[in-house]
Formats: sequence, C-alpha cells, structure tokens
Amino acid sequence: MTAPLGLFDLPTPPTITPPVSAAVDLPKNEDSLVYDIFRAVPIPTLVLDPALVVVQVSDSYSQVSAAFDREQLLGIHIDAFCAKVTLPSLASATKAIRTAQETARPYQLDEVLLTGTRTWSLRTLPIIRHGTLRCILMELQDITDAHRKRLELEERLYTNETFRILVETVKDYAIFMLDPQGNVATWNEGAQHFKGYTKNEIIGKHFSNFYSQADRDDGKPERELRDALRDGRVEDEGWRYRKDGSKFWANVVITPVYRGDTLLGFSKVTRDLSERRKAEATLIAAYEEAARLKSEFLANMSHEIRTPMHGMLSALTLLLDTPLNPEQLELTRVIQESGEVLLQVINDILDYSKLESGSFSISHDIINVPDIIQSVFRAHQKCCKPEVLLESNLDPLLPTSAEGDSLRYRQIVQNLLSNAVKFTEEGNVRLNAKLQDEDNDSFTILTEVIDTGIGVSPDVAGALFTPFTQFDNSATKRYKGTGLGLSISKSLAELMGGSIGFRANPEGRGSIFWFTSRLKKCEQLKQIENLEEKLDALSCPSPISPFEELKLAAESQRVLLAEDNPINQKVMQKMLTGLGFKHIDVAMDGKEAVRLSTRDPPPYHLILMDINMPVLDGVGATKEIRRAGLQVPIVAMTANALKGQAESYIAKGMTAYIPKPVDRKLLVKLLLNCVKRAEPG
Amino acid sequence: MASANSQDEDRHGDEGIMSIPGASDSIDAATFEQILEMDEDEEEREFSKSIVYDFFTQAESTFGKMDSNLEQKNLRTLSELGHFLKGSSATLGLTKVKDSCEKIQHFGQKKDETGTNDISEEEGLAKLKTTIEQAKQEFYDVEKVLKKFYNDES
Repeated sequence: MTAPLGLFDLPTPPTITPPVSAAVDLPKNEDSLVYDIFRAVPIPTLVLDPALVVVQVSDSYSQVSAAFDREQLLGIHIDAFCAKVTLPSLASATKAIRTAQETARPYQLDEVLLTGTRTWSLRTLPIIRHGTLRCILMELQDITDAHRKRLELEERLYTNETFRILVETVKDYAIFMLDPQGNVATWNEGAQHFKGYTKNEIIGKHFSNFYSQADRDDGKPERELRDALRDGRVEDEGWRYRKDGSKFWANVVITPVYRGDTLLGFSKVTRDLSERRKAEATLIAAYEEAARLKSEFLANMSHEIRTPMHGMLSALTLLLDTPLNPEQLELTRVIQESGEVLLQVINDILDYSKLESGSFSISHDIINVPDIIQSVFRAHQKCCKPEVLLESNLDPLLPTSAEGDSLRYRQIVQNLLSNAVKFTEEGNVRLNAKLQDEDNDSFTILTEVIDTGIGVSPDVAGALFTPFTQFDNSATKRYKGTGLGLSISKSLAELMGGSIGFRANPEGRGSIFWFTSRLKKCEQLKQIENLEEKLDALSCPSPISPFEELKLAAESQRVLLAEDNPINQKVMQKMLTGLGFKHIDVAMDGKEAVRLSTRDPPPYHLILMDINMPVLDGVGATKEIRRAGLQVPIVAMTANALKGQAESYIAKGMTAYIPKPVDRKLLVKLLLNCVKRAEPG
Repeated sequence: MASANSQDEDRHGDEGIMSIPGASDSIDAATFEQILEMDEDEEEREFSKSIVYDFFTQAESTFGKMDSNLEQKNLRTLSELGHFLKGSSATLGLTKVKDSCEKIQHFGQKKDETGTNDISEEEGLAKLKTTIEQAKQEFYDVEKVLKKFYNDES
C-alpha cells in the first residue's frame, strides 16, 4: 500500500543551533493556542528556557505557590525564582532539572513537597527538538490523596508484619494454621519448641500426627475439625505427641478462620499443661491422703469409743435388773435407749470410715440366703407397729448355700427393712427376694423392700445414697439416725458385686428400695460339707468329740507358749501335749515371744500369751507381732478375768482370751476355733 | 464346793484329795483335778507331784523374796511377786493362796484389796505385812494337805 504522494513530503526541519540567550520564542500573543495551553493549564506548570530562565508560569501555579505578582517571576533564573515562591524548593527543582537535562527524559521526583494541607510531587519534562533542548516544563502534581493512601497502606503492612513476627516468635504457645483439610500451613517457634518438628518437616503434613494412635483410630482429629466448623470453636485437653514420640498434656483450641464466607482453614493454639497437670496430681494425692487419714482416724476413734460404750450398756442392763423406783427406771431406760442409738451411730461411722478408707473386706463364708432374710424379717415382725402389715415373699429358687458375707448381707436387708418400718405409719411393708439371674459361677439375687410410708420426694431422690444425708432435717427430727445407713448399704452392695436403688412405689404411696448381690456358687464339696453340717446340727451330737477333733488337727500345729511362771509353763505344756500338740516352744517373756514368732517363715500356727510378763507384757508383744504383719491367732491367758479387760485384749489385736486357771474344756473349744479358722475355707 | 465334787472323789477312790481335812476350803477341786488328769499313772502321780513340789519350792523362795522386799519397802516388786505366785497357785487351784497373792499384788500397787481404790503407801505396807503372813500360813496349810495326798507326811 502506497501512501498518496505529498503527504510525506514534509520539509526537512532546519538545524537549530543551541540558543545563546533566552531565545525561546514563546508566543506572546494572548490569543494563540499555545499561550492558552501554557497559561491556562490546570496543572501548575513553569516553563524554563535552556538557560533555566523562567519564561512562562501558569495561572494554576500562581494559585498554589502564592505567587501573586506573576510578572515579577518571569525572566528570572530558576534559582532566583525559587527564593521567591513556596514551591518547589530550590534543592528539589535543581535536582529535577539536572536529571531531566542529563537523561533527556521526563523525570518525576520521588521526594514529596508539602504546602499546608496538600502534598505535591515535581515532574520535569525536557522538550527537545532536533537534538536541541528547547525548553523544560516543570509541573507540580497534586498527590495528596494518593500519598495518604500510601501512608495508610504502609501502616497496615507494618501492623500485619508485627503480628506475623509476634506469632512466629512466641515460644509458650504453639500457634499455627491448618488448611481446610487439616494440613499444617504455618508453624511458629512455640510449635517447634513443643512438638519438635521444624517448619520444613511439618508444613503440608496432616495435624493428626500430633495425636496418639488410639485417638487417630478413633477419628478424633477429624471430629475436632468437624466440631470446630459446627460450633465455631473446639477446645480439648489431652495427650499430644512430640516428634520423638514423647507425650505432653496439652490444651488445644481450634478455631475455623474465614475470609468473607470462604473457609481459609483453622487456627490451632496449643498450650503445654504438663506442669499444671503435675500440680493437680500432687493436690489430688494430698487430698486423698488427707481423706484416708480422716477415715482412719474416724475408724480408730469409733473403735475406741465403742469399747467403753459396750461396758456402759452392759452395766445399764444390770442396773435395770436391780430394784428401781419408777422415776429411776424411766431415767435408766432413757439412758439405755440413747446409749443404743449412740452405739448404732458409732457402728455406722466405723463401717462408713472403713468402707471409705478401702480397708473394708467382706468374708466368703457359705451363707443361706432365705435363712438370713427370714431371720431379719422375724426380728422386725416382733417389734412392728400394729398398724403396719409386714409380709415377705421369698423365691423358692433362692440358694441355700452360696459364698457370701452373711453379716453384711443381713446388714443391708436390716437397713432397708428398718427404714421401711421406721417411715411407715400405716399400711404394709413387703419384703421380696428372688433369684434374678444364675450362671455357671454365681447367683444374682434381687431383694426388694416395698412400703407404703412417707416416700421420697423426687427432688431429693438423687441424694439418697449420699453419706450423712437425711430427709427429715426439720428441727424436731422425728426419725433418728446418722444418715449413713443407705450409704453404707450402697457400698456393701457394691462390694458384693451388686447395686442398690430406689424408685417410688407405683401404688401411689411409699417407696421401693432394692439391691442386688452376686454370690459365688460353692464348690460341690463345700455344699456337701454344708449339708453335713446341717445334718449334724439336726441329728445327734457329732460322732467325734471336740477333744478328738482337736487331737487330729493338733499334730501338725506348731504352738508358742509365752509364760514366765515355770509352774504354769509346765502345766500348760503338759496340757497341750495331752491335747495332741507335738511342737511346743516356750518363751519366758514377751520379747522372746516376739523374737521367736517373727522369724521367717512364720513358725507358729498358734500363740498362747500370758498377759503379765517381765520385759515386755503380752499386750505389747501382741502389738509387735501384729505390726510385723502376722495374722497368727493369739490367745491371751490371764488371771485378771475382769469382763471389760478381756475385751480390751481382743481390741489390742488378740484373737481370744482364756481366764486362768486354764480350763481344759474351754481351751479345747477355743483352740479348735483357732485351728479351724487358720485352715482355708 | 467340796460336796459338789463328790463324784470326782469317788473316781479317785480313797485318794480323793477333797476328803483330806482342810482341802475343801483351800483347793479348787476342778482345777486340781485337771492337773491330776495329766498324770499318766494314778499310782505314781509323777507329773502332778513334780508340779506340786515345784510349787512348794517356788512359794518358799517367793515368800523369802517378799520378806526382804517388805523390809526395803519395795512395793512394786512385792506386787510383781504377788502376781507371780498368784499365777502358779491359780493353775494348781490353790484358791486361798491365790486370793492372798492377788491382794498382795493390789496392795503393792497402792490399791485396796479389790484393786479399785487408791490407798497410801503406809497403808499398803501395813496391809502387805499382814497379808504376806496370811499367805504364808495358807500356804503351809495347803502344803500339809498336798503332802498328805502324796503320802509324804515326813
């Protein structure tokens, strides 16, 4: 395509020699377009000739520079010009001009110029024609808004940066981000410190790496993310694992992070609570120790109180047998009744504190369940109010021989039944017992006591089995008791592998208290023995006398006789030999008795202990033997056969006592008991 | 008490100790019988005799110790001695000696004869003096009975 001729036929511009003087021929004609451009341009502009003399100033410039006398500014050198005006400063003008001259390109000064509230930047434009610099335009550009925005942006950037540094360097918390899938996206010093991974090792890996295998199998990490999304936050305390496999107790907070409506991921903040947990464990241990000591103290105290209480009550019984006038009789009865209540309270506390301290154990004798229930029932039948009808309903399948603790079983039945009778003014109290379940090893027995008494309001039913709780807390307190009975029954039922509970009587009035117990089945042999015992009890006296029975057992039994009086020694030795004992050692005093009996392995099946002995008396020796952990039966021999004293020997760890002079028949009976007791089963 | 044990006497024939004058109020028949039952030979009565004669020796020596401790007003030791002899006399069923020994034990502890109330040291010493003498006398009485029983009246 060829252009029409003539269009490119431009004349070659004449070569311009650099002007020596200010020979810029700017149009002076005020009507010319160029004049308008220079004079009326809205951007404040100066025009300099190549000698840097100001040849033109726009009106807009005059306004912003406060140069009111425009004519005075024209025709002077830029240096002189700058001295007269507020903008631009000489330094910036010189720099901008020089750069424009040198580079022959437009130049924008980076520096910022300020006048009042406005912010300006300076631009210089060299105008070159035919390789000759014709003039320089200098413009002031208003950058106030842009400048403010930039400042704000910088400040924001600074804040972000500060936060980043803060998060990255904090060491006491592991703070990091997960992407929406749960992969680690950021990592800080604290995280590295806690978990042992460096940034490079962990970024991109899933955060379930910090959890135990069990937690992972359980789907816990995923669940936590789900919960965090649902609830906006999830907090957890538990074990977390370090890179080296060691674990620490951590508090973890996971929060989903959104921008707008888009899920960016999750923030995860982990604290190491190992120290706190250790402190808590110490506290708990201290508390438990204190509770145990308290229970022990209670048990000891109750025990110590019980002994004199028994003495008091027996004395009262004797006193009641003496002739008393009606007033004295009345008072004595009051004492007796209060004494019995007090004894019950003490027994309850003793049981409770033993149960609490865990030192309570139940025995495993052969028990006959219907017999126990019936005997409790009969006892209540005798003293029941006439308005209350007492009934019992026993399942014929109830085992007549099972392994259990008859005393404790009886205690629960007794407690439930006496509560029912106590709180029932009229109507009936029913005792139901049935075989609930039976497997190869055990029976499960359900015992229920149903009454039509005052009942239990639903709001207190939850606290029924709480120790020291009673529902009649009124000042008059119609019903006496410690409020320990049900709590003890609960513990006992649990010790027997069962449970205890309450529900309201569906007939409208009263309560149903029930408990279950698991009793082990007896081995066949034991059942036969049990039957034989029954037979023995039924029929004639046993064909074998206690004496002969003992004689059979005695041969293998090793006995220690602690007795300081040689005559008594001799007699006792002879008596024991006569009873069939073959191994009899003699100790001359308590100390020797302790030395002989605490050898390893424990050498004796039985110890006969005189009370008054030189060096160390029988009570002291018994204490030491018990302290050494020996459970061997110790029979006290004493001529101080005062009633209370004998009991006190038993309280001090002796098994039984026999008064002096030793009666042979009594000794046979006693020793037989000891020998049987020592045998398993 | 003696009449209640007439059956026992019969069992031991003419040698029944309770038939010996003075025995019935100083010896508890059941207890002493128990010792006699330990004899393997009812003629020899080796075991019970040795015990009884041991007791004679023990009693003599204990009374000796009581006398010297009484002089030194050593109440504590007197009480212990009383207890000691009480033990062996009880075993043999020598009730009177046993009862006096128990009193000696109480007086030595500055208690009255039942052991319940406190008494002064002087009172204790005075009572000890008479009781020890009484115990000796009771011992000599029963010793005679026993020696007679063992056909040793030398």
